[in-house]
Amino acid sequence: MALPATLMKPVRGVGEFYAMALDTFMLIPRRPFAWREFFLQCWFITRVSIVPSLLLAMPFTVLAAFTLNVLLFDFGAADFAGTGAGISLAQLGPIVTVLVVAGAAATAICADLGARTIREELDALRVLGINPIQSLVVPRVLAACLVAMLLSAIVSLSTLVGSFFFSVFVQHVTPGAFVAGLTLLTGVRDVVVAFVKAGLFGLAASLIGCYKGISVGGGPAGVGNAVNETVVYSFVALYVINLIITAVQFGGPQ
Amino acid sequence: MIASPPSLAPSRLRRYGQGWAAGWVRIGRQTQFYIQTIRSIGDALIHYKAEIVRLIAQMSLGTGALALIGGTIVVVGFLTLSAGALIAVQGYNQLAGIGVEALTGFISAYVNVRIIAPVTAGIALAATIGAGATAQIGAMRISEEIDALEVMGIRSVAYLASTRVLTGVIVVIPLYCIAVLMSFLAARLGTTMVYGQSTGVYDHYFNTFLIPTDLLWSFVQAIAMAIVIMLVHTYYGYTASGGPAGVGEAVGRAVRASLVSAVTVSLLVSLAVYGQSGNFHLAS
Repeated sequence: MALPATLMKPVRGVGEFYAMALDTFMLIPRRPFAWREFFLQCWFITRVSIVPSLLLAMPFTVLAAFTLNVLLFDFGAADFAGTGAGISLAQLGPIVTVLVVAGAAATAICADLGARTIREELDALRVLGINPIQSLVVPRVLAACLVAMLLSAIVSLSTLVGSFFFSVFVQHVTPGAFVAGLTLLTGVRDVVVAFVKAGLFGLAASLIGCYKGISVGGGPAGVGNAVNETVVYSFVALYVINLIITAVQFGGPQ
Repeated sequence: MIASPPSLAPSRLRRYGQGWAAGWVRIGRQTQFYIQTIRSIGDALIHYKAEIVRLIAQMSLGTGALALIGGTIVVVGFLTLSAGALIAVQGYNQLAGIGVEALTGFISAYVNVRIIAPVTAGIALAATIGAGATAQIGAMRISEEIDALEVMGIRSVAYLASTRVLTGVIVVIPLYCIAVLMSFLAARLGTTMVYGQSTGVYDHYFNTFLIPTDLLWSFVQAIAMAIVIMLVHTYYGYTASGGPAGVGEAVGRAVRASLVSAVTVSLLVSLAVYGQSGNFHLAS
C-alpha cells in the first residue's frame, strides 16, 4: 500500500507537524522552564514586529475608514463613522496582527531556528541531553502567543486613533458623534474575542515557524524556502482560524 | 579597552549619526536598484524572453513544496475564499442585528471589490511569488551565481530582477481574476447556503450595487501592488548576505517591507481613484 512519494511527502509533513505540536504542549509544564530564553524571545519578537504592525495598521485603518465612510456619507449617516470604526477594530485588528505575527515573527523564528539547524546546533543540544523542543520551541511558542496578544492591543489602539483622526480631521465627522457611535455594535465580547484570536494566531504561526525551522534542509536555498513556506502556510492557517472563530462568535443559521 | 573609557555621549552621538546616515544610504541604494530594474525591463523583454516564459510557468504553479499543494493559484484562491466567507459570516450577522440582512449582497459587492479582494490578493502574492523570488535570488547570491552571471556577460539585474517584475505583472492578472471570483463565490455561498438567504434577494442587491468601473480600478490596484511587491522582494534577494541563514533573514525582512508597502500602495491608489466623491451614488 505504498503511496507514491509525491503524495506521501505532504502527508508526512502534516503528521510531523502535529507530532511536534503535541510534544510542545506536553513539554510546557515540564521543569525547568527556559525563562531566560522566554524573555529573550519576547523581546526579539516584539522588536521585529512592533514597527511593522504600526506601519501596517495605519494604512489598513485609513483604507477601511475611507471605504466605510464613503458609504455612510452617501446614506447621510456620517455620525455613525464611529460604529464603522468599531467594526473595523474588531475585524481588522486581528487581521493586521495575523499579518505581522506571520510575516514578521514566524519568519524571524523560522530563519533563526533554520540557521541553528543548518549549523547542527540542534544536534549538539541533543547530544548534550537537552531536548531542543523544551529549550527552544516551548519558549518561542509561548512568547509569540503572549506578544501577539499584546500586539493586538497596540494594533486596536492605533486602529481607533487612526480612524478617529482620519474621520474627524480629514472627513469632518463630529468627534462627539464618532465616540458615541463607537460602542453601538462593538462591545466587550468583541474585544475579548479579538484577544483570543490574536493569542491563537501567535500559537499557530510560531508552531509553523518552529516546525519549518527545525525540519530545514538542503543547502543555502533550504532556509529561504523554509521561510517562504512558513509565510504561506501560516497565512493560510491564520485566515482559516479567523473565519472559524468569527463563525463561532456569531453563530450559525438561526 | 584598558584605558579609561571616554565619556559615552560623543561615541553614542556618532553611532546614532552613523546609523542615521546608513539608513539614508540604504534608501538611496534601494531607489537606485528599483530605477535600474524598471529601466532594464526593455532589455529583459528583448534578450531574456525564454527566462520570462520559464518564470511565468514557475510563478503561477510554484516550486518545491508549494507546487505540491497546487501552487500560487490555490493559495491565492484559498485566502480570498476564506476572506469572502468572512463577509458572509460577519456581514450577514451584523446586518441581521439591525434587521437589514438582505443587504449582505451589497456588502459583498462593495467591500469585496474595494478592500478585501485587492488587499488579500496582494498579501497572498507577497507570501508566495514574492517570498519565493527572494529565496531564489538570495540563494543565487550566496552561492555566488550572480557574480558568475556577471562574469559571463549577462546583465544580472535585467536577467533576475526585471524579468521577475514583468512576470509578476503578467501573472497577477489571471490570479486576481481568481481572487475576485473566489471572494464573490464564498460570500454568495456562505450567505445563501449556510445562512439560508434566498438567492434572488442576494443576487438582486449584489447586481444592483456592483460597479464595473470599481472592479477595473481594483485591477489597477492589484497590478500596482504586484509591481511594488516584486521590486521589494527582488531587492532583498539581490542584496542577501551572510550564508544560508542570511537568505532566511532576507526573506523575513522582505515580507515585512513588502506587506507594509503593498497596503500603503493600495491605500494611495484607493484615495487617488475614489477621492472625495467616493464614486458611489446610492441616493443621488
